[in-house]
Amino acid sequence: MSYLPLDTAEAELIIPELIMLVGLIAIILIPNFGDATFRIPLSRIKVPILIGGNRFKLTSNPKLPNQVSLLIFSAAFFFGLIQTSYGNVGDTLEVTAFSRIFTLIFTAALILATIATTHRIPARTNLKVPTDNDSETITTKKIDALIDNRRQVDFHIILIMVGLGMSLMSMATHLFMLFVCIELASLSSYILVAFHKETKVGGEAGMKYFIVGSVASAVGIYGMSLLYLWSGDLSLDALSSKWMESETIDPIAGIAVGLMLVAFGFKVGAAPFHLAAPDAYSGASSPVAGLLATASKAMGFVALMRILITVTMPDSGEAFWFSTIAIISIVTMTWGNLAALTSTNPKRILAYSSVAHAGYMLAGLAAIGSGLASEEAMKLVLTAIIFHLVVLVVFKFGAFLVLSLLETEGRSHQLEDLHGLARREPLIAGSMFLFMLSLAGVPPLSGFLSKFLMINGIVNISAGTGASDVSSVMDWLISVEPVFWLAFAIVLNSALSMFYYLRIGLVMFFEEPENTKPMKDAFSLRIAIVLCALLTVIIGIGPLSDSLLQMVNDAVDSFISN
Amino acid sequence: MSDPLTILTLTPLGVGLLLLVLPQLLPQNFAETLRKVSRNISFGVSMGLFVFATYLAFENFGGIDWLNINMGEYQLMNDEPVTLISSIGVSWIVGVDALSLPMVWLTALLIPLSMLVEWDAKKGHIFHPLILVMEGALLGVFVALDLFVFYVFWEMTLIPMFFLILVWGGDDRKYASMKFFIYTFTASVVMLIGILIMYFHTGDISGVSGSITGHHFNLIEMNSDMIQSEGLRHLVWILLLIGFATKMPSVPVHTWLPDAHVQAPTAGSMLLAGVMLKMGAYGFLRVAVSLFPESTVVFIPLLVILGMSSLVYGAWVCMGQTNLKRMVAYSSVSHMGLIFLGIATMQPLGIAGALFMMFAHGIISPLLFAVAGAFKHHYHTLEIGSMRGIAHHSPYLAAHMMLGWMASLGLPLLAGFVAEVAILIAFWMSFGWWVLLPALTLIITAVYYLNSMQRTIFESNDRHHGILPESLHGEEPRDITWHENTSMFILGILTVLFGIFPFLFFDMMSDWSTEFIQEILLEAIINQGVKP
Repeated sequence: MSYLPLDTAEAELIIPELIMLVGLIAIILIPNFGDATFRIPLSRIKVPILIGGNRFKLTSNPKLPNQVSLLIFSAAFFFGLIQTSYGNVGDTLEVTAFSRIFTLIFTAALILATIATTHRIPARTNLKVPTDNDSETITTKKIDALIDNRRQVDFHIILIMVGLGMSLMSMATHLFMLFVCIELASLSSYILVAFHKETKVGGEAGMKYFIVGSVASAVGIYGMSLLYLWSGDLSLDALSSKWMESETIDPIAGIAVGLMLVAFGFKVGAAPFHLAAPDAYSGASSPVAGLLATASKAMGFVALMRILITVTMPDSGEAFWFSTIAIISIVTMTWGNLAALTSTNPKRILAYSSVAHAGYMLAGLAAIGSGLASEEAMKLVLTAIIFHLVVLVVFKFGAFLVLSLLETEGRSHQLEDLHGLARREPLIAGSMFLFMLSLAGVPPLSGFLSKFLMINGIVNISAGTGASDVSSVMDWLISVEPVFWLAFAIVLNSALSMFYYLRIGLVMFFEEPENTKPMKDAFSLRIAIVLCALLTVIIGIGPLSDSLLQMVNDAVDSFISN
Repeated sequence: MSDPLTILTLTPLGVGLLLLVLPQLLPQNFAETLRKVSRNISFGVSMGLFVFATYLAFENFGGIDWLNINMGEYQLMNDEPVTLISSIGVSWIVGVDALSLPMVWLTALLIPLSMLVEWDAKKGHIFHPLILVMEGALLGVFVALDLFVFYVFWEMTLIPMFFLILVWGGDDRKYASMKFFIYTFTASVVMLIGILIMYFHTGDISGVSGSITGHHFNLIEMNSDMIQSEGLRHLVWILLLIGFATKMPSVPVHTWLPDAHVQAPTAGSMLLAGVMLKMGAYGFLRVAVSLFPESTVVFIPLLVILGMSSLVYGAWVCMGQTNLKRMVAYSSVSHMGLIFLGIATMQPLGIAGALFMMFAHGIISPLLFAVAGAFKHHYHTLEIGSMRGIAHHSPYLAAHMMLGWMASLGLPLLAGFVAEVAILIAFWMSFGWWVLLPALTLIITAVYYLNSMQRTIFESNDRHHGILPESLHGEEPRDITWHENTSMFILGILTVLFGIFPFLFFDMMSDWSTEFIQEILLEAIINQGVKP
């Protein structure tokens, strides 16, 4: 297969990405298939070239792009799931169990986003072109509908680009590659946020997100160039060995890493770089907001883990970023929860809750950075972080799916829109309540298991550090390393977060709905919601959680061995 | 039948959840049929479980000699621990001993009774299955011997109770349900840190209950030696105490209870007071005291202060209450204080008294709440003094009220008396004349109970008519319905039965406490230099 720039063995490793790449081209082409022909010059022979002309009935169906992208993501997910071989692809990509589980996270989130979009952007077949006889309002309506149909394909092209960028970035072993992939995914996600340009808030949110995001990226690139100045090589291996060699931390390298933390901190939504996130979430349509809260956050954490753990984590002793990350994590979770308390927009509440969740995961990273962790304990914490990112797709995206369902009939940016959901849609409301409990970390749901693993990891790292010969509680608390308090920060914050999660449950079951009719019959979306709710429960305890944990463990092993 | 406790726990959970979810998925006409019979199914299942639990509980039927179980051994355990999450060492181990068996039986008893009291609840097709789910979670707490599973069930009880209060509660139910959930959830996550510190200190095991490498949650294999640092042991003990004392509840973390009780529907109150409060005391004995006896001995003064302040403060506040249900709720706080005092005595008799208090209060307080609920139901008010002489109008209700009130204030020959006397005697043996304080508090108890009873049942100054509350708008009240009457009647009979024959459960409790002292606490008591 000489026509490919990679050999067969390498191609097999990146089947999911190749599927997405081929799909990207296909989805650009397919809606343009028509009966166009090309007449060979000086002859009467017409060769059908298929591109252009009057489109076929099948390819002109505005729902087609949605189905195609669903197929693409499902295929990518499936092949990612069954993959067992790992190895290098070229010089800058390496497929490991670690990258694979993130590919699965990304594609799963994208599958859900695609399903949710089916009913979010209305697509109608058999549309009429406006005629001269139509009144003005009918003309605008018809044109809007036509535009909606046209935009279907745009949305899914961008969606696939997001998937491609994210999936490739999780394999990158070179900082430059990592950054390019992040930018591919980020720039696409800015467009997705602003995709509903007819609503004022959508455009504003997209613009804000774009400006803040590009500044953050610029800062990150500046940091990267400083790092290049320092080491002369941006591959992760070279950077980490150079870092090991240096006795003290070179100021340039320190500043460089600090600047890159700004860029990645923005991606995960860590305080104080989170300020654009709530606006972006509430302005974007719910499927996109869900994507930002799960896949985009996972992407940021991959980058953070690469920089903080692969590159700058010393073999023994405290990492220089330990106290910074620890403080950021506590500020992030507290800020996120406090802000969510005062919010009345469900999307904003979810946005702030995802800020808080970023704080919990950063606390895990900080615990690793304390340098007290044995390899086993470090694995525990990393498992907790990755497991949390995995299950977030299930219940955080599930919550956004419910909001998507609300959006099919209008709005979902006020708590009132959720009023009395239990009376109209008991099953959906029940699922939403499960998602909320899972976000808060109530057993036996999967959110509890991930939070449990996180606290467990931190306790595991720190509880052994207290003095063993003291007999009073106070003496022990003084003697224990401060990392121990991170566990308390998480626990107190989850208690705090209970208020707003329960409030969402409360308005669904308590308040009177404005209208009592059942909602639109968005069948696939309903199936997806119920499936997410089911997964939220069965990943919490039992054999499935065990096998998932096993997968995450493998991923962590492959991450550490690098 | 090889694994009765698993059946006992998972059947109500499964049936309850199915009854909740199925009507959503089935076609309309099937769903309607199912909705109509779902309360009957729930009641049938819970009755079946009660019969099953009774069969297990009595030696004559089940063939287990509950009086002679060695400390640390459990009966009815599942043959093989089923691994639930192997990578963190969670497995399904269930078993009961004399500490948990009465609680299991009590739960199985109270569930059908509370269903019966609210047989005509609105939205019964959700109400009764929810109670069934509640039963599964409660039983799970009492039988689980794996701390992870224990914690899962512990928190799971919150969800059905949250809905019971939120959907079927009184006017202020929104506030009460939120407060209830957040309060107890917060305390439980603090407790979770304690559990995790214990988990971190466990090691490989290979014993009767299977072999696990790495850390585990197996309660049977844990002991106090696993944590080296004494300071850390005390810390874990305190973290656990925060979780358990909030559930019990003890002053100063009791404030969720009156709100939750006043707003909860009758069945919810009955379960809340009857079983959920006991979860705190049970967990405290099972985890904190069993695993950290030395810390318990060190913190005896703290226990005495907590118990005494709950007892005195609860009783004192009761005297000022004008709401019947609120008064009963505070009296629960007061009685729970006695449990801490009983444990603090470090006497076999005291601990047995505390155990019997858990059981007796588990029968009496549901009776009290059923009575209070009936007032709310038939007189639409709970104000003491707004209705007088109701014995004229509702003779059955008045009779049940009288029996319940008398039992709760500790009348001899009724169940509560046995527990109180046992605790007070043990208290006298350990703390001497300090016993006067709890003993005199019982006088306050008598004052508020007699006062509220007299003003409600009697004192109409009319030979034939009582004074009816304004909330009835001049209508004639009905006496209680047959299902309320049945339920209260059964509870009343049991109150008398266990007052006259306490040994039905008291023997196994006192046997358990004697062994508990000998095997676990004695060494700690000697080491810490406390007079046994």
